[in-house]
Amino acid sequence: MQLIDADVHNYPAGMQDLTPYLSQRWQAYVQQSGMGFPGASMYPKVFAAAARRDAWPPNGNQPGTDPQFAAMQLLDEWSIDAAILNPLVAVSSLHNRDLANALMRAVNEWTANDWCAADRRWRGSIAVNVRDPEASAREIAHWAQDERFVQVLLLVRSHAPYGQREFRPIFRAAVEAGLPVGIHFGGGGDVPITACGWPSYYIEDHTAMSQAFETQLVSLVCEGVFSEMPELRVVLIEGGFAWLPALLWRLDKNWRGLRSEVPWLTESPGDIVRRQVRATTQPMEEPGDPEHLLQLLDMIGCDEFLLFSTDYPHWDFDAPDRALPKQIPELLRRKIRVDNAAKLYGLA
Amino acid sequence: MAWRDVAAADLADGAHRVELEDGRGLVVVRRQDRWWALRDRCPHQGAPLSAGAVSGRVSPCLPGEEITLADDEPVLVCPWHGWEYDLATGRCLHDPGIRVRAYEVKEEKGRVWVEVRQA
Repeated sequence: MQLIDADVHNYPAGMQDLTPYLSQRWQAYVQQSGMGFPGASMYPKVFAAAARRDAWPPNGNQPGTDPQFAAMQLLDEWSIDAAILNPLVAVSSLHNRDLANALMRAVNEWTANDWCAADRRWRGSIAVNVRDPEASAREIAHWAQDERFVQVLLLVRSHAPYGQREFRPIFRAAVEAGLPVGIHFGGGGDVPITACGWPSYYIEDHTAMSQAFETQLVSLVCEGVFSEMPELRVVLIEGGFAWLPALLWRLDKNWRGLRSEVPWLTESPGDIVRRQVRATTQPMEEPGDPEHLLQLLDMIGCDEFLLFSTDYPHWDFDAPDRALPKQIPELLRRKIRVDNAAKLYGLA
Repeated sequence: MAWRDVAAADLADGAHRVELEDGRGLVVVRRQDRWWALRDRCPHQGAPLSAGAVSGRVSPCLPGEEITLADDEPVLVCPWHGWEYDLATGRCLHDPGIRVRAYEVKEEKGRVWVEVRQA
């Protein structure tokens, strides 16, 4: 293997792609209600469908809806050996839990049958409904033996921080299935998307996404999820990583004085994160001086931490031959491009 | 330098990829009777600029003021990361030190001609 892409998006062209995987009752419901597939989009994006303008398939459907075209434009073009699919169908945004759970299964069936079965290079992430952690745990167990799926997928903006106990069934099921939990850019949960309320612009939405990643990471550490499940691996997907050293310094410092509040933390948060958390590269941090990036990686202190990703077909796609600055030494470059993801996801 | 015939002059408004005999890709942009030509590769991450959007440029203003689009000096917007390039000079709007090669271009005898270095 030479290159693994740890973040690619597959989209249904519409509900018609998912309805074959719904029961007769839900097919009738979808048809009668005329509902579209749920996808949270709170701000108009720089380009239609938040996609690269050259990623529209010839059939005119939206970017990311055609497995063959995506394979040609992404996998073949860049000689990618395996790519992790993260379907951004916001099933958790549906208030009707029964419908959300039916769609959760349909999205996973569609990923398995319409994408992974079409090309062995596609590997799936299991979509779950975070509003129903018990049902999500059953969904994870359902796919646990299917090697096409290599991850459980959560969206970073949620109605409550994922460390809280209500979400434990999801993490326990992932550990039992031997799968990492990916937490991806986006989502929403009836609460403002920043800690200070709703911003006005997409540039704020996009930039401040790292706030949500920080919140989830602090929650998972402090609520003891990692301590309770040392086998658990969490991947922060599309959240950046330049913020991590400062956050860990702050959290480690607080832990020294406040550890009695969270007595399950018997080691420093920094050690826990370096052992159990990974992050994808895109959107690649682009400091004015690329040497600063190396300093950041040194501060993070774990050469297994980063997994290369493109975010295809989105507009902020990172090109595999251009995104990693040439200052990154060859051994580390190889780990970022392939070895770290191969180890984490069990891709030989 | 030499003028090269790169396309028929009946191209629609917008950005079009053309290729020189030596394989160099250019993006030719038409807006009614105005033409521009740039190298078809974004210096940031290598995106094909010919898939980009042609737009007017948004004029600087203060918060709350009316946001206006100056249409007489259009820009080409990179199809991936949205970086904007001045069509006449190829200079990037947010950092004029970043530049795409710009070419002289003319319409003559029903054809589009671009002035390029001799291969």
